[in-house]
Amino acid sequence: MKLTIKKQINLTLLMLLIPMWISAQVITVKGTVKDTKGESLIGVSILEVGSKSNGTITDIDGNFSIKIPKNAKLNVSYVGYNKAIVNIDGRTVINITLDEEAKSLTEVVVVGYGKMKRTDLTGSISSVSNDAISKSVVTSVDQILQGRAAGVQVQQNTGMPGGSSSIRIRGTNSINGSNEPIYVIDGVIIDGSSGSSDSNPLSSINPSDIASMDILKDASATAIYGSRAANGVIMITTKRGKSGDAKITYNGYVGWQEMPKELRLLNLQEYATLKNARSAAGIVQPDNNFVRPDLLGNGTDWQAELFSKALMTTHNLSITGGSEKTTYAIGVGYLNQDGIAVGSGFKRYNLRSNIDSQIKKWLKTGVDLSVSNSNQKLTVSDESLIKIALKQTPDVAARNADGSFDGPQTTEYVQTNPLGLALIKENYREKSGIRGNTYLEATILKGLSYKTEFSFDYGIDNTYKFSPSYSFGAIVNSTIESERSKSYTKFWSYRNIVNYNNVFNKIHSVNIMLGQEAQKSGWEYIYGYRSGFVSNVAHDLSMGDATTAKNAGSSGFNSISSYFGRLFYSYDDRYLLTATLRRDGSSKFAEGHQWGWFPSAAFAWKVSNESFLKNNPTIYSLKLRLGWGKVGNQNLPDNYAFTSTLTSVQTANWGTGMLSGNTANPDLTWESTASSNIGVDLGLFKNRIELTADLYYKKTENLLLQLPLPAYVGTTGNGSTTPPWANVGSLQNKGLELSLNTVNIDKKNFSWKSNFVFSLNRNKVLSLNTQTGIVDGKVTEGSETTIVTRTTIGQPIGQFYGYKVIGRFEKATDFYYKDKNGNLKPTALPEGMAIGVNGAWIGDYIFQDVNNDGVINEKDRTNIGNPEPKFTYGITNSFSYKNFDLSISLSGSYGNKVVNYQRRWLENPAANTNLLEKALHYAVLSKINNSGPVDYRNLYISGGDADMCRMAASSASSTSNFRFSDKFVEDGSYLRIQNISIGYNLPKSILKKIGIDNLKLYANLQNVYTFSVYKGYDPEIGAMNQNALLTGIDNARYPSPRIVTFGLNLSF
Amino acid sequence: MKTINKTIYGFFLATILLLIGCSKSFLEIQPNDRLTLDNFFQSESDLQSATAGLYNKVWFDFNDKFYYGLGDGRANNLYAPYSDYIYPFTDLTESSLTGPLVSAWASFYNVIGQSNNVINNIKKNSKGVTEDQKNAAIAEARFMRGTAYWYLASLWGNVILIEDNTTLVNNPVVNTNPRSDVFEFAMRDLEFAAKYLPSAASQTGRLTKWSAFGMLARVYLSYAGISDNPNSGTRSTTYLELARKAAKKVCEESGLALMSNYADLFKVANNNNSESLFSLQWVPNGDYGVINTQQAYFAVSSDITGDDAAWGYYTMASFNVMNEYETADSIRRKATFMAYGDKYTELSKSTGGYIYTTLHNSKKCCNVKKGVVGSTKDTDGASSRMNSALNTYMLRLADVYLLYTEAIMGNNSSTNDATALLYFNKVRTRAGLLPKTSVTYEDIRHERRMELAMEGQYWYDEVRRSYYKQQEVLDRINTEDRAHIDLYNYDKITNTCTATINTSARAVNTATVDRLLMPYPESETVQNPLLKQTPVKYTFTEARITNLFN
Repeated sequence: MKLTIKKQINLTLLMLLIPMWISAQVITVKGTVKDTKGESLIGVSILEVGSKSNGTITDIDGNFSIKIPKNAKLNVSYVGYNKAIVNIDGRTVINITLDEEAKSLTEVVVVGYGKMKRTDLTGSISSVSNDAISKSVVTSVDQILQGRAAGVQVQQNTGMPGGSSSIRIRGTNSINGSNEPIYVIDGVIIDGSSGSSDSNPLSSINPSDIASMDILKDASATAIYGSRAANGVIMITTKRGKSGDAKITYNGYVGWQEMPKELRLLNLQEYATLKNARSAAGIVQPDNNFVRPDLLGNGTDWQAELFSKALMTTHNLSITGGSEKTTYAIGVGYLNQDGIAVGSGFKRYNLRSNIDSQIKKWLKTGVDLSVSNSNQKLTVSDESLIKIALKQTPDVAARNADGSFDGPQTTEYVQTNPLGLALIKENYREKSGIRGNTYLEATILKGLSYKTEFSFDYGIDNTYKFSPSYSFGAIVNSTIESERSKSYTKFWSYRNIVNYNNVFNKIHSVNIMLGQEAQKSGWEYIYGYRSGFVSNVAHDLSMGDATTAKNAGSSGFNSISSYFGRLFYSYDDRYLLTATLRRDGSSKFAEGHQWGWFPSAAFAWKVSNESFLKNNPTIYSLKLRLGWGKVGNQNLPDNYAFTSTLTSVQTANWGTGMLSGNTANPDLTWESTASSNIGVDLGLFKNRIELTADLYYKKTENLLLQLPLPAYVGTTGNGSTTPPWANVGSLQNKGLELSLNTVNIDKKNFSWKSNFVFSLNRNKVLSLNTQTGIVDGKVTEGSETTIVTRTTIGQPIGQFYGYKVIGRFEKATDFYYKDKNGNLKPTALPEGMAIGVNGAWIGDYIFQDVNNDGVINEKDRTNIGNPEPKFTYGITNSFSYKNFDLSISLSGSYGNKVVNYQRRWLENPAANTNLLEKALHYAVLSKINNSGPVDYRNLYISGGDADMCRMAASSASSTSNFRFSDKFVEDGSYLRIQNISIGYNLPKSILKKIGIDNLKLYANLQNVYTFSVYKGYDPEIGAMNQNALLTGIDNARYPSPRIVTFGLNLSF
Repeated sequence: MKTINKTIYGFFLATILLLIGCSKSFLEIQPNDRLTLDNFFQSESDLQSATAGLYNKVWFDFNDKFYYGLGDGRANNLYAPYSDYIYPFTDLTESSLTGPLVSAWASFYNVIGQSNNVINNIKKNSKGVTEDQKNAAIAEARFMRGTAYWYLASLWGNVILIEDNTTLVNNPVVNTNPRSDVFEFAMRDLEFAAKYLPSAASQTGRLTKWSAFGMLARVYLSYAGISDNPNSGTRSTTYLELARKAAKKVCEESGLALMSNYADLFKVANNNNSESLFSLQWVPNGDYGVINTQQAYFAVSSDITGDDAAWGYYTMASFNVMNEYETADSIRRKATFMAYGDKYTELSKSTGGYIYTTLHNSKKCCNVKKGVVGSTKDTDGASSRMNSALNTYMLRLADVYLLYTEAIMGNNSSTNDATALLYFNKVRTRAGLLPKTSVTYEDIRHERRMELAMEGQYWYDEVRRSYYKQQEVLDRINTEDRAHIDLYNYDKITNTCTATINTSARAVNTATVDRLLMPYPESETVQNPLLKQTPVKYTFTEARITNLFN
């Protein structure tokens, strides 16, 4: 990049050079211009102060020579560096060192429908540079933000290749609606929500195409996006061309991924021992193969069968360049990420190009196009294979001697062969998309321009499923089925923007923007199914039996119409004001409720530009910011929640039947979030220390909530109407963000820079539909649906909700306690249970009787953990030594709780599946008096872990012990070495000879190590299907892999 | 000059473009994948499609597991130690969290809610249809609602009566209504249905007047037993008489007759046969939600279904039910439960028929046959993975015959009334059994259990009996050895069933008065604490139909 600019200037200035007039006192001054690291600077402009024509530029080695009066002064300037005035004082050799300009001074930030200098910002905006992208292994843009931007919490919902993340900018704003920000990619809006853990709406974008990301956080910055901005806006700028010679860049890596951690499951000996104990307890029939567990081997390690090392490759090639009037960029990319679990993987091809051209002196046009194709394997998640692999017993072999897949010997209450399913089932999603943006921009008068812009995003999303015939032991499937679905998504937006820019009297700087925008998005879906295939070979529907055909189709569209404006005014570069106003209309609401106003205003004071701080040796820059704004959310999944609809239902003989589809709410309207922000940007010691701090308060009202209703209203299960959407309740988020950049060491050969981000958010629900209103998050496992989170007034969203284990019945006296009056009372037992081996018994858990009614029932559930972290943080240290650079980034979360949900089954010693090793340590009961009866007064716990219950033969007791309690809630705090990146830049002197500008070899280690006490795979859990109510619940989540890559970066 | 031109062009363009966004229609988008209420209920066929949905999807969650899990499982017709949708009911260990209980509760209320929507939408929105057409459609919906309320009253007793779901949305926290009001509500619905349903179905499989009379017979008979004293031993003569009259209508006036071959009742090809009065209408090759999944839960192995959905290995006939079969009752036994060595030519046709030789830990137990129809190939494409396409009997003629006998017997301990015996013996002789000359309640109980085993009825028979002979029912449940017997050997030739008593086999609860009712699902009591409070009398607004039997 630097070289291109230099060459460009070089050329321009060479042309301008004219023979110079030489005076009598003229001397020839020679010298070299270097930067602080000692690199020669090419094409530096050197002018005699006061002269318009006497000047030169440095050559390829940074040398210059100029004839100049001996008392004159040199004006040395270079793009990106502070300019220097040098007194000649008769010297003939002058070596000049230029300081790099503090980046933030020139940095341009993309704001809604325009750009601003970072120094002019009044709102709260974080930026992530291309540098951060190249120093991490990311396959999707959402992952880039992890630990890199204050106020932005990123958690991957799954480690499955191509999966989604949950991104929370300044907390959770909505209970039922989407909490994902929108992404504006070169003008095209992409919604970050997919409502699925597996599907990532951003997966079609190649991270290496990205030049910068700017995160608009507070409402004063986002209000310009009005109705869609409630969860923040992430502006993504892709790389564009610069005039000059074409520059070709290649970047690619290969690497492997592996399981970061394995769970300790039972091996065959242990499983046999436990099964024998189960059969002794009368839970299962004895297994004749397990008479002597000590003679058995380890059996099948299903975890190892399903997970393995996996390859990952990427290649990216980009070409940028242009003439003076036209610039272009072309990029192609390829990514192939195999999954660490068999039956997963992600492959992507990208092609991107953009052209900008000044077609008339007053007219500019440009077009951006990007095409992508991706292919994601989904077998592992659709078939819950991770859960199956954890539960499949070690006595079942993965394969037969002939290599075919084996399976269990019966079909009842056994697990299938997860490896077999992963390998034989076809299940993938192929997405193709084209996204584009084109504009025409006319400069009507000086400072007044008009831009008309059209953007579109069309996508085709095909899924392919084929289930062949197979036999895994006793599990036989002879029905061959194939499913195909195609969905077509469309989005277009058209906008017109008038922009006026002027400076009056040198101190009144004004920018006015007015615009109009129309957006429409929609989808169409078609589905086909057949079974009755004659072979497993050809998978298309027409190969199946036509009489088995099923099909379906649906569609949905919505539109938004908008008007907006922004006024920016700066007085003497000291007092800055930004005000925006947007009016949006949405088709998702009934007439009369469609339109909403979204205003904002922000004020900033550049204190450092006041005379009392100017040229202050310590405080280089200081800006105080104050802002307020209101944004909206219309992101309900239903386009017609405001009107009553009928949906079709199949009948056997009577054609199409109809059922009520929803409960309408004609008064439905915008959810709105008002937010206030106070911030400071401080730069010390020529910006070697930069600190940005923000305090915010956000209040969301008229929450879009799908009313949680009891089932008797007819809103649960098959054939129900969907519950109504309503504007209900309010919640708040308040928090603090810090971002600190320091240049710790900046020597010729060595530099060390640090970046620290810190985010703290507190969420609280202020009101709901009724004073006792609740919203529950539920997880269904088999035929059991459990409430796992509850959202109530006065608490943060999605509190884990269940029973509290306060101890264990260790001895007979534990069944009684003395109340405060000294009366002996029976300890509360689960409802319907008495003291007995099939009821409550020695070795069972004692649950807290929260409401003190003497019985443990659903009323005794309470909040048992908060999934919201107390704070999250990220630390990045970058070092460079000569041609080496090293960057280490850490990210962490503190104080949040997570649920290790599968432990409810995997630690239950009575369960009939394979289990965690912990299950072996169940409480062993022994008689106190060996000849006495089996009575609770004659039993004590003689073995096992102190926190484990007994093995209960009665399903009631066993279910009771493993009810959802705080036993399964764990500390989710972690510190992760997110990335270590090591690079070596080959010396320029060598590269120049072979015509290469830059060649860098690097290695990246991603997800290196996680410090955590969490017992599951990975404490970074995210939100199940991006559902805010199911945050932090690990139900056999696909673990994020550890990745090691080696790559090279080449440009010429 | 040039600048001015540009300016003019620019603003001209800008003005036009700004106008585009103003068009009002831009924000009005009509759906293409659903209908809105304004353009429906305009013809008889609209009304028919509005009621068609009440025959399958709304009952799906009920049919999927609860129909047999409770109807047969709780009544100890089934032994399924690993199926958590059966054994909690058999073992009397269900709680407010038991999954199928929750989905059945929701399913009944979906039937009620969707029926209410049909009734209210027809009343409010229909245009261009006659009063008779409206009443016929409303009658169908009220039949469904009444039937669902009979189930709710039998299972939970006091429940919430709902006529308009849209008002409930705004305030869902309401009181329950007493069981007697729930019964009355159900009876009023069914009486309306009996009055306005046609005597011949407008489309095969739809409800008729006879369906409503049959269901009324069941509900009247149940209600007859309710009094302040659950051990009174007598029933209300008024309602016994109503039950008799309603059953009489079906038995003597409908012109319907029993199928000649019992086993044929449970073949897909015989869906909606002459004996069927109300059956859930499942869709061959249909989507999830409109299919009959029962075969997948019953089929003993993949050999039967031809796919991996065959999870019935451990869903067996109980020792108790196998012990009750009369030796001559082999036709019904074979059509209901498979015994070692049984051959079913309708299953595995390609291999010449399926022979049941499954052993359970080397014991000859019996797996479920009724509801198992075979693979796609066996059924000419009707069944598919997790879908037998077999209609689910909710009420069939033989059931009403036995209700008729019971109603005629009334408060007597036995009967030799000719009509009572005629219909009772029609059921017996079809099963290949000798007719009886006198019938006691015990005979009826036994006959109903055998005739309707695996048709989700026996538990409701017990509930009906418990309304006036509570202790007898509790004693019966508590002496069935539910806790002590798991596997057994059944010999179909000698009809002997042997098992050893295993003292610690299962953890079961004792049947108590409380256990005769189901607990309200936890999710409901949490959201509405009033559910556990004293019920509030329901105010009926319309006059009850009293001239049904004039």
